[in-house]
Amino acid sequence: MRERFASGFDPFVIPFLIGMAFVLGYCLFGMLRIWFQLPRKDRRKVVLSLITPKGIWKNVKDIFANCLLHVKLWKRNPVLGYMHSSIAFGWFMLIVLGHIEVWLFLPERLRLFYYPIFFNFFVAESESTIQGAVIFFLMDFFLLVVLSGIVLAMIKRVRSRIFGMRRTTNPSFLDRIGLYALWSIFPLRLLCESFTAHISGGSFLTLPMNWIFRQFLGNSMNALPTWWAYSIALGVFMCVLPFTRYMHIPAEMMLIPLRNAGLHILHPRKGFARLQFFSCPGCGVCIDACPMSAKKENIKDCTVYLNRQLRRGNEERIEQISDKCLLCGKCTAVCQVGVQGPEMRIAQRMLRRYAVNQHYTDIDPTKFVPEGGSSAKVLYFAGCMTHLTPAIGRSVRSVLDKAGVGFKMMDPDGGLCCGRPMMMAGRREQTRELIRINTDIIRASGCNTLLLSCPICYRIFKEKYSLEGIRVVHHSVYFDELIKQGRLKISGKTLRKLAYHDPCELGRGCGIYEQPRSAVSAVGTLVEAEKNREESICCGGSLGSLSLSYEKRKDITLASLRNLTVADPDTIVTACPLCQTTYGNYSEIPVKDIAQLIDDASK
Amino acid sequence: MTGNVAVVGGGIAGLETAVRLKALGWNPIIIEKSSSLGGHVAEWNCLFPDLAPADKLVKELVDAADGIEIHTDTEIASIFYTRKSYSIVLSDGSRFMCDSLVLATGFSLFQAEKKEEYGYGIYDHVITNRDLELWFNTGSDERVPSDPKAIGFVHCVGSRDIKAGNTQCSKVCCITAIKQAIELKEKFPKAEIYCFYMDLRLFGRKYEDFYIRAQRDMGIHFIRGRVSEVSETIDGRVFVKAEDTLSGKPLRVSLDLLVLMAGIVCNRENTTLAESISVQTDEDGFFRSRDNITHITESDRPGVFFAGTCTGPKTIPETLAEARSAAISVDAYLKSLK
Repeated sequence: MRERFASGFDPFVIPFLIGMAFVLGYCLFGMLRIWFQLPRKDRRKVVLSLITPKGIWKNVKDIFANCLLHVKLWKRNPVLGYMHSSIAFGWFMLIVLGHIEVWLFLPERLRLFYYPIFFNFFVAESESTIQGAVIFFLMDFFLLVVLSGIVLAMIKRVRSRIFGMRRTTNPSFLDRIGLYALWSIFPLRLLCESFTAHISGGSFLTLPMNWIFRQFLGNSMNALPTWWAYSIALGVFMCVLPFTRYMHIPAEMMLIPLRNAGLHILHPRKGFARLQFFSCPGCGVCIDACPMSAKKENIKDCTVYLNRQLRRGNEERIEQISDKCLLCGKCTAVCQVGVQGPEMRIAQRMLRRYAVNQHYTDIDPTKFVPEGGSSAKVLYFAGCMTHLTPAIGRSVRSVLDKAGVGFKMMDPDGGLCCGRPMMMAGRREQTRELIRINTDIIRASGCNTLLLSCPICYRIFKEKYSLEGIRVVHHSVYFDELIKQGRLKISGKTLRKLAYHDPCELGRGCGIYEQPRSAVSAVGTLVEAEKNREESICCGGSLGSLSLSYEKRKDITLASLRNLTVADPDTIVTACPLCQTTYGNYSEIPVKDIAQLIDDASK
Repeated sequence: MTGNVAVVGGGIAGLETAVRLKALGWNPIIIEKSSSLGGHVAEWNCLFPDLAPADKLVKELVDAADGIEIHTDTEIASIFYTRKSYSIVLSDGSRFMCDSLVLATGFSLFQAEKKEEYGYGIYDHVITNRDLELWFNTGSDERVPSDPKAIGFVHCVGSRDIKAGNTQCSKVCCITAIKQAIELKEKFPKAEIYCFYMDLRLFGRKYEDFYIRAQRDMGIHFIRGRVSEVSETIDGRVFVKAEDTLSGKPLRVSLDLLVLMAGIVCNRENTTLAESISVQTDEDGFFRSRDNITHITESDRPGVFFAGTCTGPKTIPETLAEARSAAISVDAYLKSLK
């Protein structure tokens, strides 16, 4: 290989350089801004996670798997996965191979930023570089890979259903510019390299094209304008990148180490949250997943649109979207980059100031300490939801009696709230106070197990209370153990088909999927819903939403019921009193709590 | 033209319409799904505001319907509209043609077990207004204690309740609760009786006097506030938590009997019937009248008329008046066909 131009420069590289300088500057500034928005404690956490070999290895592995290979997307839909990884990985390989070429043939030019990108323009093939054929082949191969991805991307715009997506987002104006620039980059690259292939060398793709072009164009006057076009396309793409959904490419690379360091969202616009909404690729997977999208008017309230509005700073819409959400967490479960929709909304709700702030300082915890002997080691907290569904509470107590478990009621005659509803409403102070009082009550009871029959309570007791030495357990898990240990005898196993619904707070919230299923299987024939486990659909009754009215929740509940009853079950079983009540209003088949089911079948 | 009119429903609306049609010279045919006539009224003991016996009213109507073709335990199997007349096949196999159709399908009582927080079907001493009337009639219901000290009434159970999916006011339960409270007070003079209400809608003549009598003369306690939660004490009594919104204080009371005033909701079978003859139902499930002021008994469809509570909650006098009105409308329609 030898250089064609002694200066190693041509004005056509300027658009690329401008774009590159802009995007690098913007990202650097953005990164620093986010970094300094993080609380000192969080920054320490990140630094500590980055200095251990284990932490570094995990970050590198995650970035490679998620940003380049898109492993999660492959699992979701192989065509969609191929489309993304062909473009991302193919492009990455083109850049890497470009650098290898420069390093092999003209190492002194490595310091020129643009040289590896436009290598084929600046060099001419000489005999000594015939060995470079391997690299030429690889360059053409990866270009072909990227081009195939671009073709798929174009098809996806027209028919998203092939890629397993029913609905997708409407790109904004700048998104479209970015999109068209991205689409044109690689066909232009193919043209440029084809035009210069007889000078700089090429392989199976560029050489035949070069031959064809020369048959009817006859001269090489087309080369320079095409290289200009290629450079301009790159420049445009990089200049609009910060204002489009393609910002997710650099943002996700920073998001992964921060998430691996275990950071939480504290403010909806700053720090970790800011990084999350910039990482949103706007793919719209959360639209199909969102239970609210059963009604078309709610589509614009999905997490992808929250991210868009947060980037635009549209306060009115941000407030509306944050209040409407059911906080079921399904958008996070399906999200490719792991944007935490519910946490962002709770953080937004925390910003609100209220005229009246309840306080519970005059509540005396000692008045609530349950009586009863010290032999009872299980403390049962029914919570408000179970008090409103007395049949469930009665079944729980009956099952405990049958299994011979000594227990005390924490709230026989009404007690304090667990705090989760306050937490969902973003009222941190009230939550903290309730947690403090409840912790005192639980500690004073002398029990070693806290039993909950409501997943809403269970989640906050598990996540936010510090109850070392006390086991916090949901009744579905506890009853499953009682059955397995043989302490509870199941006598009435039936052949009835039972469809189990994963409550949001128990499933996605606490990761409990297996034990309830095992308990249901012990009693009858378990059938699955169409979407289950991580992708189970919220019943629509969630306390998370502050603004959805009961009428508007009806369609959500009906859609969720349709999903649950695909296997034509005889009974719907759930492990949450709120789900049970919500379904009970509209279901044509009986809806039972797992406690009622076990109580009916045991002796 | 046959002169036949199919009357769907053998409650008081259906009976009254049929009797009037017969008197006008037409041939009504009553189709009743249950085995007896009189509908909900036949289950009631006595009626507000004069405490008139319900069975007397039903008996008068049934006697007047003597000679009218009545199919009990029967439902409509299929129905077709052909050349200005309806061809009907019944579940008992009989078939006939008719020129007009009167829907008097009535209402359903809200299923109180759906409001699980009130504990109907779970606690031993929680009953509904209907259960209480049946007890007045038969005297046997083990949920009603022999010597109650305290009794509670919960108004608006499943009516005016978005959560239960029914926003309409049932209209008759306020006055029914007062009537039943008075009756219970007369049976158990020593018992304290509490009515938990949202607001009292006593619109009819003599209703207000009835209420004043209950409050002043009988000493029945009226508490404005919804019951939030009902639980059971160890000795099996019913423990009620509510808020007295007039004094702004929470209230807790133990009762020996709790009566839930289950509201009037639409008859779910209306929807399937409406589809088969293409008339409309409203969002609340009741039939949609052509006009809510002037043509309440008429549908959008020629020859199909409504009578009674299938178009919304109504009192007995209103139902009877509407049944007569429907008969006149049918008469005019049939005459126009000639």
